[in-house]
Amino acid sequence: MIRTTIKGLLARKRRLFTTALAVTLGVAFMSGTLVLTDTIGKTFDDLFGDVYKNTDAVVRAETAFEGPRSTGAQRGRVDASLVGTVRGVTGVAAAEGQILGYARLVGKDGKAIGNPQMGAPTYGANWSDNPELNPWTLAAGQAPRADNEVVIDKKSADDGGLAVGDTATVLVQGPPQQVRITGIATFGAADSPGGASFVMFNSPAAQRLVAEPGKFDSIAVVAAGDVGQANLVARIAQVLPPRTEAITGEAITKEVQSETKQGLSFFNTFMLIFAVVALLVGGFMIFNTFSITVAQRTRENGLMRALGASRRQILASVLIEAVAVGVMASVLGMASGVVVAGGLKAMLAGLGFDIPAGGVVFTVRTVIVSVLVGLAVTLVAAVVPARKAARIPPIAAMRAQVAGSAGYGSRLRIVVGGVLLASGVGALLLGLFGDSGNAVPVVGLGALLVFFAVSVLARTVSLPLSRLLGAPLPRIRGAAGGLARENAMRNPKRTAASASALMIGVGLVGFITILASSTKASIDASLDRSFTGDLVVDSGAGMAGGGLDPGMAAQLNGLPEVASAAGLSRGLAQVGDSPVQLVGLDPATAFGVLDVKPLQGAPGALGRDVIAVHEDVAAEKGLKLDDPVPVRFKDTGDQTLRVGMIYGEDQPVGRYILGVAAFDANFADRYDEKVFVKKADGVTTAALRSAVDRVAQSYPGADVFDQDQFKADQGRAVDQLLALVYALLALAIVIALLGIGNTLALSIFERTRELGLLRAVGMTRAQLRSTIRWESVIIALQGTFLGLLIGVFFGWALVQALADEGIDTFRLPVSSLAVVVVLAAIAGVLAAIAPSRRAAKLNVLAAISST
Amino acid sequence: MATLSSDLHRRVESRAAARTVDARKVYGKGQTEVRALDGVSVEFETGRFTAIMGPSGSGKSTLLQCTAGLDTLTSGKAFIGDADVSLLNDQKLTILRRDRVGFIFQAYNLVPTLTAIENITLPLTLAGHQGDQSWIDRVVQTVGLAGRLKHRPSELSGGQQQRVAVARALATRPDIIFADEPTGNLDSHAGAEILQFMRQAVDSMNQTIVMVTHDPVAASYADRIVFLADGRIVDEMHTPTAERVLERMKRFGE
Repeated sequence: MIRTTIKGLLARKRRLFTTALAVTLGVAFMSGTLVLTDTIGKTFDDLFGDVYKNTDAVVRAETAFEGPRSTGAQRGRVDASLVGTVRGVTGVAAAEGQILGYARLVGKDGKAIGNPQMGAPTYGANWSDNPELNPWTLAAGQAPRADNEVVIDKKSADDGGLAVGDTATVLVQGPPQQVRITGIATFGAADSPGGASFVMFNSPAAQRLVAEPGKFDSIAVVAAGDVGQANLVARIAQVLPPRTEAITGEAITKEVQSETKQGLSFFNTFMLIFAVVALLVGGFMIFNTFSITVAQRTRENGLMRALGASRRQILASVLIEAVAVGVMASVLGMASGVVVAGGLKAMLAGLGFDIPAGGVVFTVRTVIVSVLVGLAVTLVAAVVPARKAARIPPIAAMRAQVAGSAGYGSRLRIVVGGVLLASGVGALLLGLFGDSGNAVPVVGLGALLVFFAVSVLARTVSLPLSRLLGAPLPRIRGAAGGLARENAMRNPKRTAASASALMIGVGLVGFITILASSTKASIDASLDRSFTGDLVVDSGAGMAGGGLDPGMAAQLNGLPEVASAAGLSRGLAQVGDSPVQLVGLDPATAFGVLDVKPLQGAPGALGRDVIAVHEDVAAEKGLKLDDPVPVRFKDTGDQTLRVGMIYGEDQPVGRYILGVAAFDANFADRYDEKVFVKKADGVTTAALRSAVDRVAQSYPGADVFDQDQFKADQGRAVDQLLALVYALLALAIVIALLGIGNTLALSIFERTRELGLLRAVGMTRAQLRSTIRWESVIIALQGTFLGLLIGVFFGWALVQALADEGIDTFRLPVSSLAVVVVLAAIAGVLAAIAPSRRAAKLNVLAAISST
Repeated sequence: MATLSSDLHRRVESRAAARTVDARKVYGKGQTEVRALDGVSVEFETGRFTAIMGPSGSGKSTLLQCTAGLDTLTSGKAFIGDADVSLLNDQKLTILRRDRVGFIFQAYNLVPTLTAIENITLPLTLAGHQGDQSWIDRVVQTVGLAGRLKHRPSELSGGQQQRVAVARALATRPDIIFADEPTGNLDSHAGAEILQFMRQAVDSMNQTIVMVTHDPVAASYADRIVFLADGRIVDEMHTPTAERVLERMKRFGE
């Protein structure tokens, strides 16, 4: 039996290959994701291993609070005098204060280097003269001596066209500084660690420009002789002031490495979701292909049964075929993972997410997970067709072959589909609107159930849907069109199954498109309501901190063209148990430019001990005017602020506002992320713009936007994410198209005689190709229609659920969705290319004489 | 003389709905070479019902297929009317088949997704025109399908299906109809019906039919029988009867 199966497989190599390809692509994507994240993880592990190679202990402030995802522990700085204290401890060979913060170098062309909003961060640091604690190696020049001298990394030097001896501008805390480049350094073998940009000052300059005078971020310690790390830490701990800690070099290495891994695991999960989608679609295709081939081999299997094969043997023969497909596909997919990893990295870089990665890391885990998952998907998908094959009675050998199914499917199918749909929608809505603590798995399960339900019910609606979608065909494509429509209708089960695979990808595309357009519409609407000014100066600084000198807002306020210019600062703090973003605004200027819709209290109340909260926060926490709010800052610790205002608009100010007095009192670092500008009476926008541009010129990296540009810029992050998701979903769609092509090829094989007959009685090759092409288009549109139905529902539901998060406008992006439909039709045409060519090449005589 | 000869020639030519000149069809090479047709020159006259007979492997189906433009000759020529089939590309050949040739095959030769009437008019629909409605009505009437036009092939008996096939072959009023064992899959009663329709098509509709068969009874419906053996024409018979055909066929066994 095994031999007949294998012989059968070899006889159908081509189909085996296309079937396997579906799983191969999914597995390759998964393997690629694992390879890429492993590689990035290893790169960072090595990096931090190097950074702390000679560090035996680190002294730093205790954690004030845990920041939100990927920002890590938030802590203040230590006094510079502590360095001396630590040096005095017996067993300490050396101790150096360290600084790491925001700085951004300006290249020779006047453009700021790097793109901290999307790519690697840009850092300012202090240059260490202790070679044991300095991971850098000077490639040219010498260490910075004077306050205006710096060493920069080689990558930044190359990117910015800078050389030793050049004078350059560097953006730091306060106004931009002119510095002289005295040295260019490499980080081990790399031009820069992880693609980040570094400007390294001497310690006093770094304190003043990057941190704060008289402070260090941490102190690195080298042990003398054979004093162990644990021993060293214990000795240092005895001299430390309160709220300061010492940890071993090993511990800090592990800590930083695990923080990176946490950041990566989010990325990993994100990518794996798409791999799962691709595999799901691949599973559909496997199911479909096996169903069709089992149906086509009804006679053959009936004969086998008549000749004495047991049901178990028939079942085994189909499953062995599945195993062969699964193993082949998984192994190929796993190996292609290396290529995919490179492709993913390039794609992410193309979309603006530049990720550093060293040599490729291919772990045993990747091998095992890829092969097991690929095999499992294939086998699970093949079980139902295999059982169907086993149920074929021996008498089938003697019966005329009736391939296909008509009508609307069994009552059981409709009931099962209905129940699945109801529970899927129920779970989805419960997850979105219920109070359950962990909604994500419930929503995910609901979505999956909805997809399954619709694919079960797709068979029921397939016949009328094909009839409807194909309705114009006889008129526009004559006989070929009419036959295409009939062919799409002749086996609704098969048409529905092919369409279902496409439905998943299109459903997700539709959903994401709606979510993105609603998000942008909500941001736009909110900005329209709140931003009453004319221009915005954006710092271009990213999540790693940094921004504009608050002096710039003051400078702009001094211009006659400006009525008011308001800087917006951002900082992290902990309110209650959760980390939140606080926004700092100057009440004297800000509320003339930004209308946050005060509901209770007034902006004037935003003094030293006051906080303003959004109405949603007030409702959630039951806060009233003058209620105390405990806030923990990393620099000043626990503070109790009083509610001075409750407001109704959360764009662009977020959910917590501090007046500039409170912000200055609690944050050591002062940057403006943006400055909002309103023109003075009687000044044209053009005049305002040229005045603002003149000021902004001395702040490289800053962009001046008008209202529309600002809205577009705010939506850019959404667009970028959208592009990424599209690119990732494209894979699922490509697999679905392969599936449609495969179904068509199998159908054509089944209809060889009929096609021969059509050719004999006068159908031209072009007409035959057209018939198959339009059948493909009907299938593709059917999948698209069902997918969009699901997508719109998901999108609507999620937007309703996110109303509290500020996404309060549901927008159906009709033109984008129309594009999806057109693309699907084109994709249908593409999917039909290979099968229709093969059908057209059919030898008429061979076709009609074959039995 | 020259004028008379060419005149005669033209008249002969115009009488033939299809013909072959020294048709040869060779499969394989060297040791395994099979000469399916070995120099066959034959004419099928307009308005007549010709049967091709011969033992298995005599090349009768090959002759039909090559003449009809479904297969190509190794050498020699085949004509439908004046059109040299061997000179036409696939596109032209297809259109020739569609517009000027009708086919009736052994069985299962209807498109399952189309109704009876859609199958009958399929060549016309493929060509993108309506056809002559009164002619189609007459054809449908003749084969007795009036009540079953909306049925799909799966809802028709074998005999009824073959009647649809005959009607389809007649629908375009082709220059010639080729039938390959049209009664092969039918019981004798249904077979007789089909042959009767074909006879009628020749007699009252002035159609031309060429039929391959191995059944002496079927062949007896023809005006003329061409006997093939080993790829050559070995005999001819006019106004045959089943008994005479059977006699002749028996001699092939010797």
